[in-house]
Amino acid sequence: MKRNRGLKSKPAAALLAACLLIAGAAVVCGPRFLNPITTDAATRGMLLAIRLPRITIALLMGAALGASGAILQGIFRNPLADPYVLGISSGACLAASVALALDDAYASLSVPALAFLGALGTGALVGLLGHGRRGVLPERLLLAGVGIGFFLSALLLLVMTLARDEGLKRAFLWMSGDLSMTDWENVPYGAAFICIGAVLAVMKSRSLNALTLGDEIAHSLGFNPARERLLLFIAASLMTAASVALGGAVGFIGLIVPHLVRRYVGTDAMPVLVFSGVAGAALLCLADTAGRIAAAPMELPAGVVAALIGAPYFLYLLVRTKRR
Amino acid sequence: MSALALEEVAFSYRPERFIDRLSIAVQPGELVGLMGPNGSGKSTILRLAAGILRPRKGGIAVCGRAVGSLGGRTRAGLVAFLPQILDMQAPFRTEELIALGETAGPGGQGLGVDEAMLAVGLDAKADAFLADLSGGERRRAYIAMTLVQGAMLLLLDEPLANLDLRYQLQLVQLLRDIARSKGIAVFVSLHEIWIGALLDRLVVVKEGRVLADGTPQAALTASTLQAAYDLSGPIDTLPLPERSALAGLLGRGNSG
Repeated sequence: MKRNRGLKSKPAAALLAACLLIAGAAVVCGPRFLNPITTDAATRGMLLAIRLPRITIALLMGAALGASGAILQGIFRNPLADPYVLGISSGACLAASVALALDDAYASLSVPALAFLGALGTGALVGLLGHGRRGVLPERLLLAGVGIGFFLSALLLLVMTLARDEGLKRAFLWMSGDLSMTDWENVPYGAAFICIGAVLAVMKSRSLNALTLGDEIAHSLGFNPARERLLLFIAASLMTAASVALGGAVGFIGLIVPHLVRRYVGTDAMPVLVFSGVAGAALLCLADTAGRIAAAPMELPAGVVAALIGAPYFLYLLVRTKRR
Repeated sequence: MSALALEEVAFSYRPERFIDRLSIAVQPGELVGLMGPNGSGKSTILRLAAGILRPRKGGIAVCGRAVGSLGGRTRAGLVAFLPQILDMQAPFRTEELIALGETAGPGGQGLGVDEAMLAVGLDAKADAFLADLSGGERRRAYIAMTLVQGAMLLLLDEPLANLDLRYQLQLVQLLRDIARSKGIAVFVSLHEIWIGALLDRLVVVKEGRVLADGTPQAALTASTLQAAYDLSGPIDTLPLPERSALAGLLGRGNSG
């Protein structure tokens, strides 16, 4: 008698189908309806130069944030861990905002690179401070992340206070996860780093399961908990940094998506990782598309819409669980 | 060959010696208790045996191989350690937790998941979440995980804590069955003197030294207990149960 443990195939297939459907709908729908198989040059141009890169970036970012959240919640054994709690995105926001808010010429050139470096630098600093005598300990890492995050947020507010109005709005939009200015330029780099992080995470999914049970049991199961935690933290940092660099800071997805996914695919780390990526991609793409349509010709930042859609649904699930 | 052999082991958390020249051996198929007052080094000894802590001096061998030099997978196939406090929050179902044993060790030598669930009497709770199990059941689920892992030495840190007498007796019965039928060496730290009398052998430690090592009747003498727990008044030999009393205490058909 062999039962199918962990992955429940039906909900997983439904999630995958929903993601494909959303991506497909996002190509067609928008402030203007676009026929994807048209021969009209102007429409094709608009599809290729504006809509497709934007959808690609939303999918990549959502996938990276969802998977990062799944990793971080596992290695910290804390359901509230996400890329934002750890200060990684605060580092990206600070680096990007200095450019966006204070200096125009310098801004358009290097915001993604700055955000990426800011995120990775913060990740490295959190990792270093989280390193105790017995390796990288979860409580230490979490406290280091929260502490650094608050400090960087304070610096960010300082930068905003000093900024001029126009720069302020740009920085503010960037921090709300606004994808309206995206193009193909940074997609290959972002995709490459996200792939590296994703492959590392999937390779380490067995360790992620073991770490969920605590370091001593992970050790008993044959893992080196400190080393595995560090590798998984690096994977999450790479994906978060690449995501923030691609389209700005989008909160909420990394926190909520893994919780939603576990309800449907079980608790085994591998399906949770993969489907947090799938569901994160779907949610951000949906949010961005809805944000383009809802208040057209104005656009609502994807990060804001994602939280507006996702949070009530999450709370609904919470209420339903309590009543059961 | 001993399942576990600590020879002349020295270890300390701080500069001064804590454990010094400690030697303990556990044989395959043996259920051995480790007793002693709080802070006597019981948990430290188990963590040394598991390879979580490294000794400053001396040798620690599991199934004849130095535990410190083993790779993770090889080690997991020889020795398993369960801490006193097991995670209740881990979002796994019983069967999923037990199946994690498959990811450890060289594979193929442990029990199958269904077999292990049957062995610990949890086959009816395969789909229950860990958080919904009783303390005793949760302990048994983790033990089943180590059976799947295939470890030949099972180290348990105070597995009886917070269990009532009936659960304690059931757990001892389970551990004895595992030791007898599978030839696994089981080394448990515990505080319950009365339960200790039911084990095959007892090692009593204090301040990192062995005070007594032998059958429960030989180890639990009045003088050993006085020395171990700093009791100055006279202790008559306690009315301890015979080792053979366990099955009778539990009655028939209650081993789960």
